[in-house]
Amino acid sequence: MFEESISLSSGSTGAHVLAPEGEPIEFIYKGRKFHIHAIVSRWQESGGWWNRISDGKNHLAEENILDHFNDGARAIWRVEAAPEGALGTFEIELDEITKSWQIRPTSRPL
Amino acid sequence: MKTFTHLRVASGYSFKYGTAHARQLVERAAKFEMPALALTDIDNMAGAIRFAKSCEVNGIAPILGINLSFVQKKYRITLLAQGGQLASLYHLVTEINSNSSDGLLTYGLLERFSNYSKNILILHGPESQLAAAIASRKNLEALSIFNATRDLFADQALECVSHLTRGDGPFSTSHAARMLGFARDHQLPAVLTNAVRMLDRSDGPVADVLDAARKLVPLSSKSVNRQNSEAYFKASSEMSYLSDEISRLAGERDGKSLLNITADWAQRTILSPRKDVGIGGIHLPDAQSLGAKSQSELAAQLRSRCEAGLSRKYVGAKSVIAASRLEEELSAIRTLGYESYFLTVADITDLSRAKGIRVAARGSGAGSLICHVLGISGVEPITHGLLMERFCSPLRGELPDIDIDVESARRLEIYDAIFEKYGQSCATVSMVETYRSRHAIRDVGAALGISPMEIDLIAKSMPHIRSSNISKALANLPELRSLNLNTPILKIAIELAGRLDSLPRHLSMHPCAIVLADQGLRDYAPQQINASGYSMLQFDKDDVEAIGLLKLDVLGVRMQSAISYTLSEIERLEGAPLDIDAIALDDKKTFDLIKSTRTLGIFQIESPGQRELVGKFAPDTFADLIIDISLFRPGPVKSDMITPFLATRHGLRPRPKIHENLEYILNETEGVVVFHEQVIRIISTMTGVTLAEADEKRRLLGDIAGQQSIYDWFYPAALACGYTDVIVTEVWKILRAFASFGFCKAHAAAFALPTYQSSWLKTHHTAAFLAGVLTHEPGMYPKRVILDEARQWGIKIAPIDINLSDATFRVEKTTEIGRVPYTAPDVASSGKSLQLPDARGFAIRTALSEIDGIDSKEIGTIISGRPYLDLADFVYRSGASCPTTESLLMVGAFDDLHKLATSKINRRDLLLHLRDLYRLAGSKSSINQSQMTFELQPPKLEASGLPNMTASEQVKNEIDILGMDISNHMMEFYGDFLNKIGAVRSSDLIKYRSGTSVLVAGVKVALQTPPVRSGKRVMFLTIDDGFGCNDITFFEDKQADFAATLRNSWLFLVRGEIRRTGPRGISLLGVGAWELAISYEKWRNLTVYGANEA
Repeated sequence: MFEESISLSSGSTGAHVLAPEGEPIEFIYKGRKFHIHAIVSRWQESGGWWNRISDGKNHLAEENILDHFNDGARAIWRVEAAPEGALGTFEIELDEITKSWQIRPTSRPL
Repeated sequence: MKTFTHLRVASGYSFKYGTAHARQLVERAAKFEMPALALTDIDNMAGAIRFAKSCEVNGIAPILGINLSFVQKKYRITLLAQGGQLASLYHLVTEINSNSSDGLLTYGLLERFSNYSKNILILHGPESQLAAAIASRKNLEALSIFNATRDLFADQALECVSHLTRGDGPFSTSHAARMLGFARDHQLPAVLTNAVRMLDRSDGPVADVLDAARKLVPLSSKSVNRQNSEAYFKASSEMSYLSDEISRLAGERDGKSLLNITADWAQRTILSPRKDVGIGGIHLPDAQSLGAKSQSELAAQLRSRCEAGLSRKYVGAKSVIAASRLEEELSAIRTLGYESYFLTVADITDLSRAKGIRVAARGSGAGSLICHVLGISGVEPITHGLLMERFCSPLRGELPDIDIDVESARRLEIYDAIFEKYGQSCATVSMVETYRSRHAIRDVGAALGISPMEIDLIAKSMPHIRSSNISKALANLPELRSLNLNTPILKIAIELAGRLDSLPRHLSMHPCAIVLADQGLRDYAPQQINASGYSMLQFDKDDVEAIGLLKLDVLGVRMQSAISYTLSEIERLEGAPLDIDAIALDDKKTFDLIKSTRTLGIFQIESPGQRELVGKFAPDTFADLIIDISLFRPGPVKSDMITPFLATRHGLRPRPKIHENLEYILNETEGVVVFHEQVIRIISTMTGVTLAEADEKRRLLGDIAGQQSIYDWFYPAALACGYTDVIVTEVWKILRAFASFGFCKAHAAAFALPTYQSSWLKTHHTAAFLAGVLTHEPGMYPKRVILDEARQWGIKIAPIDINLSDATFRVEKTTEIGRVPYTAPDVASSGKSLQLPDARGFAIRTALSEIDGIDSKEIGTIISGRPYLDLADFVYRSGASCPTTESLLMVGAFDDLHKLATSKINRRDLLLHLRDLYRLAGSKSSINQSQMTFELQPPKLEASGLPNMTASEQVKNEIDILGMDISNHMMEFYGDFLNKIGAVRSSDLIKYRSGTSVLVAGVKVALQTPPVRSGKRVMFLTIDDGFGCNDITFFEDKQADFAATLRNSWLFLVRGEIRRTGPRGISLLGVGAWELAISYEKWRNLTVYGANEA
């Protein structure tokens, strides 16, 4: 499967995804606006917090203990989407910690 | 939107899996306004009663089930009890645990116990074999799996679970939808659950640590079960959303139908906490098991047994009082319907005595005349003012609890007898072990891969506290200052350890409780077979009380074994049995021994603190012993009840007078309230309520809110009875101050009995008693201290002798005269000289079992091969191992056999001889032992001319091999030195004035640093110098210089100031402590050097 991670804007915002009620409905990919026609499936992933415990060298003095439990929670949608009438399949991922979005096409747009 | 019911929930009782307490889950369900909630823990139902109690409080209908391995270890299913049919589930669980070693449910078991399973519901969830078949698209196989159990259960359903995992395996939405589709295709019921194991999403890391701890591996993506945090307690709206998603994927319009069937199943499984779970019920032993047909026959049986006991134990005027008290007690028991319980306990104490096992009651049960006349309790309750009402009354909301103390060495024989007689109507009780700080930090540390050394350091320094207090505890420990506790990994470890706090960890057997119920016991609680092979309820002691099961605590007490051993030695030596339970309780010589504070080995009063107290108190009667035991507890010590009591007792202060009506209650304790029974009587006397009502009031005094409510009642009630305002106020002050510290007199009296009996035995049969103490080790002192105690009464300590020593310490009569026994000096302040034992003419023969490394099989073969002609004979026939034989030789076990005292041969020659014997045996190792005796000519034993071992080498061997000094006290080698520097013998300290500065020496017996109120550390050192023990207190100002010496040394020279605390109370205030050997070397160098100067 072809996978490409893209981020339209640098920083923490990631890709531009429109999700007014938590579930994505539109996004911009390679400069074009895509409309989501159907959600094929969705799932949740998290875990591996023990690999992300900092070594203590760079941490801020006033760090909250709970910030250490970076459980890497992610919600993933596999969707059918089309730009201007064309249909394609993408995975849209919301990093629930940083609130940034990622988009991966799972097949080339028609 | 309808509310959802979770049918599949694992609590912390799913050991090392569930992260939430049952109570938290119930509270969350209440917050979500759910009508019902299930608890379906893994492999056990230990949380059932706590869960049901919580449900009742929160107005939620409980559902109970269990999650079990089915057919294969890797497949799991969930069973749910139907409403009204909980007993069937309990029975099935009991049968699974009794008939399989690993709790695996099989088709075979189901067929055998289908009469139970036919009342039970089964859920095929995502971990089931059926789900696996559906995941691999084998729908026909899935159907045949479903059909295989169709006739074995009341009903079965597919359990759809989506934890929103990636892909299409179990726990994905896609798999849940396929399960639902399969159910629809075959018209089978399907329910929705969330297979809950956590309360909140954020509990994921806790679940991971538990997974790692359960599997004993560090955290990695392979060791944890979860792929995300969805297995939490979801709200109804979240479950409804999931239901829609799953149903739509299965081709339905929405999730309503799935939710409706789930709600139906919830309805079918709802239980009543009272009617079904049995909370608030009661199940007394059957009349039938006692040979009675009805309750009234039982009552008649109890009455006739009590009356028979009464006429045996009471004569004259007292029997009239006793008879009327018996009537009162019997009528209370009649009201409560507890006849069968008392008769069963009496039956068990009779069973034990018939086996020759000593039994004594403990606790408030000793206050009941019925317990006394039935022979359950040895203490006579009327003379000692003990009250039945403190133990059991119709007003009490809880069941009476009888505890019996039995010989520790034979406790399990009583268990066996009880199980043999009462079968399925009795069982042991479980005990839930929970995460405390040490375990929590160890498990978290191992999961996170923190270096074992660091974790060990933290864990070992951790006191036994709740793990949520860990970070505070760590901050206060000086030992941990070198560790940087602020690194992220240690901070996380400590945070996680706190979150494991008080989660259940393991189910084990309660050390002494046995439930005595009726034949229906298996209906009331699920059981398993514990490690010792006894049936054990999965419920703990609070649970069994909640469902009305009466229990009996059978406690093993080493002192009872020691007393029993003493009695058998007396009978063996004197040829006549002694009935210790029939001796008079006013023996003057016995109290003289107690007053001398030479109480080592005696029950309850041998500790340094108690020796100090009996020295101050000088008890003269059995009643005094009861007071002494009641006073020596943290409450009275902290609140300083002892000082005013002793001041009045010794005439230094007039006895406080409050009101003449209260005098008879308070005089026995010099106006100080010591006993619960006194509080009960005061309340009853001043307000006119019955003793039973007064006890209810007393119980409320324990907390502030209760105190206020009693005050509001007591004040007007006492005024109404004609007591003045001043008196009522004064009495109230006393009640409030002492009620929470008071002690149950019946319990103290029950303990005073073995205290008195052991004192009596030590006084009159000193050698036999100390042999019993050495054999069963009931107390706190090491054996070498007890041996030394024996020497002080003139008893010879006989070495191990290969033809004489037994497996245990034996008493021998001897013509060899021991040393002059200890006599208490006639001290002016006490005015009386004490009559103390003289045990000269007796010896205690050291036991074979004391040889380091010897095992009981070797002891058996050695004893059965006796007598031995010589060392060679022993080597050939005894079956003893080479190291054991050498150890025996080194401690002189062959000295008498080879008459070393009168021959040229010494122990070194014997040792050479032994080597020769083994060399020879080794060359013929293929020949069996009986042939060797015939074929081999043993090598000759000759004097080699080597010097014999010195006395100090002998003592060193004894310490190495036996852990005690037999031939000489260790201090004897320092005798000359100690005399020259003017050190004082412990037995002579009583001749010195308070405040005198003295030098003492001795071997460390104990070093204690108990927590004290001020928070400052106090170190209590006890040393023994061959003439008794010295107790020395070191306060903080001396610890900086001497703490290391106190901790690390064994032999001490100590300077201290004498503190006289009563007629015979002596203690030393520590000024300095030094290692004895170093002091000795310095002194020797000094004297040698000094001699050269001269």
